[in-house]
Amino acid sequence: MHGEYKTPGGKLVVVDFAVQDNQLRDVRVSGDFFLYPEDALSDITAALEGAPADLTEEQIATRIEGAIPPGTEWLGTSPAALAIAVRRALASTPESELIG
Amino acid sequence: MTTEATSKPSAGAAAQADAAEHSLPHEDRWLGYEWRLIPAAPTPPLLNMALDEVLTLRVGRGERPPTLRIWGWDSRCVVLGRFQSVRNEVDEEAARRHGVQIVRRISGGGAMFIEPEGAITYSIYAPEEMVRGMDFPESYAFFDAWVVKALRDLGVDAWYAPLNDITSSGGKIGGAAQARRGGAVLHHTTMAYQMNIPLMLEVLRIGKEKLSDKGIASAEKRVGPLRQQTDLPRDTIIEHLVGFFRSRFGLMNDAIAEDELAEAEALVKSRFGTPEWIYFLP
Repeated sequence: MHGEYKTPGGKLVVVDFAVQDNQLRDVRVSGDFFLYPEDALSDITAALEGAPADLTEEQIATRIEGAIPPGTEWLGTSPAALAIAVRRALASTPESELIG
Repeated sequence: MTTEATSKPSAGAAAQADAAEHSLPHEDRWLGYEWRLIPAAPTPPLLNMALDEVLTLRVGRGERPPTLRIWGWDSRCVVLGRFQSVRNEVDEEAARRHGVQIVRRISGGGAMFIEPEGAITYSIYAPEEMVRGMDFPESYAFFDAWVVKALRDLGVDAWYAPLNDITSSGGKIGGAAQARRGGAVLHHTTMAYQMNIPLMLEVLRIGKEKLSDKGIASAEKRVGPLRQQTDLPRDTIIEHLVGFFRSRFGLMNDAIAEDELAEAEALVKSRFGTPEWIYFLP
């Protein structure tokens, strides 16, 4: 599954993942954003790995927000923007894959 | 401020406005260093990536004074941002067909399509103390303010568009990205000199979502390459930029040291040239 969201006036955030047993798997977050320190990407990705596929956009955003270490600077995008990309990806998923 | 003051500035206000026009934000922070210049020489794309890492670390450790490096290229390439996915940004088949190498830099931001004579790229390696107290958006604008002023001196109606663009009434000129390492800031900027738009569009994937807030469907309309805006040769523009830097902040001619080059070449083998790095996000 693949979802994208560009923050108006900001940057693109992209998410790719599979859904197994109603959970997000093999999550990859990418985009033309800036992130300091760079390692924080693994914290962001880990926040989505195993997340239930039926979370609301707000719940996804909260989950990401909570996983970002203090002092991290994420510029051009945001947990809310990534949550939109995740919901978009899920919305594009065929029903059969969600059940599988 | 009253309407009257706006329309009829006093002599004092006019002098102040004049001074503001000619000085750069936090200009004093550039002073007091022995800035070094590494001039452009044709360089393989992967080595350019590694040199940024090596020179940033050296400045951070105080082994090299703050440095301005003008980039040279020896071949076509796409430079991906640190966090971009190869598949999402590049048509790899088209890249192969046109001999366009795919490399990944250490800073975030967007993909650049590079042809050796088509871009003007520079790196600033500076101690982090230069941007102490500034937030990231301020520090981006700070490191490129001199270039905006130098371009304006060439008659280009340029300004800085946060977060990281140099733009103009003639279209976007370039973009910047930063990385921070061990007490040093790497700030590098690429400006378009002359663009091969058909080839760029063949190699780069510019999705609809990326253009969703631009209000236009064409990448072509968004850019204002410097050749089109100045009618000057690329080298003349580079000389002007370097001359501007030299006159404002001081600049001594320098070169990449042998051990710096050796370290960068080793990094190409161990990291920047490996699939693990280039396909970090496939």
